[in-house]
Amino acid sequence: VKARWLSIIIGTEKMPDTPKEQSELLAFADSHHVLGQMAIVWEGKTEGKLREQLENGLLRSAFDHKMLHFEMDRVKRALVGTGISPILLKGAAYVANDLRACKGRRVSDIDILVSEDELARVEALLLDAGWAFDAATANTYDQAYYRKYMHELPPLRHTKRQRVLDVHHKFLPRTARYKIDNEALIAAAVPVEGGDFRSLNPVDLFIHAAIHAFADGAFDTPVRTLIELEYLFSDLTVEERESLSARAKEVGAAKVVGTALWALASMLENEQAGRVLESANMPLVGPLARWSIMKKSLTNNSIAKFYLYVRSHLLRMSVPQLMLHLSKKLVRRVQKSQSAQ
Amino acid sequence: MAEWARLADVPEGQLAAVMAAGDLEMRIGAFTMQLASSERGLLNYLRNIYRDTEVRLGLQEVTDVTLTVRPPSFLRKYIRPQIVPDPGFTVPAVPLPRRLTPLSFEMGMNLAVALKCCRYVNLHAAVVANDNGGILISAQSGGGKSTLAAALMGEGYRLMSDEFGLLDFDGQKLHGYPRPVSLKDESIDIVTELAGHDWMSERFTDTPKGDIAYRRVRPTDLKAAKTAVDAKLVIFPVFGKGAPGVVKRLEPSEVLMRLIPASTNYHLLGERAFVALTEMVKSCHAFEIQYGSTSTSLEIMKDLARRAGL
Repeated sequence: VKARWLSIIIGTEKMPDTPKEQSELLAFADSHHVLGQMAIVWEGKTEGKLREQLENGLLRSAFDHKMLHFEMDRVKRALVGTGISPILLKGAAYVANDLRACKGRRVSDIDILVSEDELARVEALLLDAGWAFDAATANTYDQAYYRKYMHELPPLRHTKRQRVLDVHHKFLPRTARYKIDNEALIAAAVPVEGGDFRSLNPVDLFIHAAIHAFADGAFDTPVRTLIELEYLFSDLTVEERESLSARAKEVGAAKVVGTALWALASMLENEQAGRVLESANMPLVGPLARWSIMKKSLTNNSIAKFYLYVRSHLLRMSVPQLMLHLSKKLVRRVQKSQSAQ
Repeated sequence: MAEWARLADVPEGQLAAVMAAGDLEMRIGAFTMQLASSERGLLNYLRNIYRDTEVRLGLQEVTDVTLTVRPPSFLRKYIRPQIVPDPGFTVPAVPLPRRLTPLSFEMGMNLAVALKCCRYVNLHAAVVANDNGGILISAQSGGGKSTLAAALMGEGYRLMSDEFGLLDFDGQKLHGYPRPVSLKDESIDIVTELAGHDWMSERFTDTPKGDIAYRRVRPTDLKAAKTAVDAKLVIFPVFGKGAPGVVKRLEPSEVLMRLIPASTNYHLLGERAFVALTEMVKSCHAFEIQYGSTSTSLEIMKDLARRAGL
């Protein structure tokens, strides 16, 4: 059933006939944060309360986009005169480029990337302009951990507006198993928003979305991620699609891009993606990972979820590093609970 | 096709089965709700306090709100049973002991409407009306909004809503959502005396908010609340034990600044909500009233209503 729901959300299958199933589908789309995207596809094709419910989704994404533009403007102000033009990532990049992937999309945080030698300056300017490190990771250990191992600063939260800003300097943690050519991706970035920001080029946007989905984290927003990949892929020109596999190999992302194409072909029946995958003979993640990706997208399978969770940690760092990190976390938690008593 | 029916006219067993299957559709004023629950306590409460509400057996259309009232976990179904409301998204609702299932249900509906519905500017307020227009009553917790609304029900006003003022985007009309009036502690006795025992739910004691009871909505309220009314008067009641009656006229700008934090979706709606509230405030008289007893507040209200042409 859920496989069909994914197709309905992107508009390639017809709406369920019964109000009961429509209601379940709306709840599914809402809880996976894609109601607004579903609403865009179905705009003008529904009526009554169904239309109203979909419009609610649009309203929420419009609110998010407004906030995002506001935050981008404030980041721009904070960096004015420095000549630094951060690369917008993910939702911010889609919104700034007005891509199909942003229509109706929810956006919570804003993600930017600056080069490592600009990082200290950007951090100081943002702290000056009212951002502060989020309370959850403001402690000494997390601060040191982020700076030593991660691909981003500890999350910043604006002290007045409470919006979270992630400042990256790489696409994956320093210790990550996948080795991505950060410089190659950064070098090919293109200007957006009147030149104050940059974003990755269209092919690299898809590659980065694939990296984010399958080389980083536990595939935590499966439905949203699949839809994002679908729309980014469908926005590529024929030439861009043909260049995709070569570019993916060049930047060290062949396996995750292959997996993204496999996911689109197998779960959203995207024939174009299947064709690129076949013709370029791209590598995929292992069968257990693929099974888990499929299960987590369509069901609430706890084995799949657990496997992807463990995998996310193993992707992030080597086993000895992981053991050290987890034991430190554990000690800290025990100390915290004792001091709380 | 199932037709709308009065809830109490549905045979109990059938109602229980439809509710358990999650196929019950309820229509109250501006909103419809899909309800799922196997809780006996909820069924009994509905058959009493929601007896005149319109329901349909079997979903005919998707609804504004969906609500499941259930134990928070398998364990809590059997061991020290608890109940939570689940509107399909995470809400800040604490699990309550099973004997308080009706509270969980009411709380769930409030949260679902407050956080999900965005076709109106939702104001945390009570609304009563007569043929000439509506009175919006907005108060801090303990200000006496519900008590005043219930008291005005006995003075020829009909209840539009106890919990939400639903304002049109053009800022003219208030829409109805007449659910039972929620009363706390001393207010329960005051309203029981005014309305009579027959119109009251049982008294729920030792809840997280003290004692709570509900005053049933009359069939006439339910029927009339389908029609939106013009907003004419905005009241901010402030209760102080033994305080003398004081009336303070409020400037439109101050009314606006008081109503914005009382709205659950102002920031989400943005400019639309600002425009609607500004329009409403311009066409309303607005007062803060301080009072020490229900009879004082009623006297003040009658005077203000007359002056506002109600």
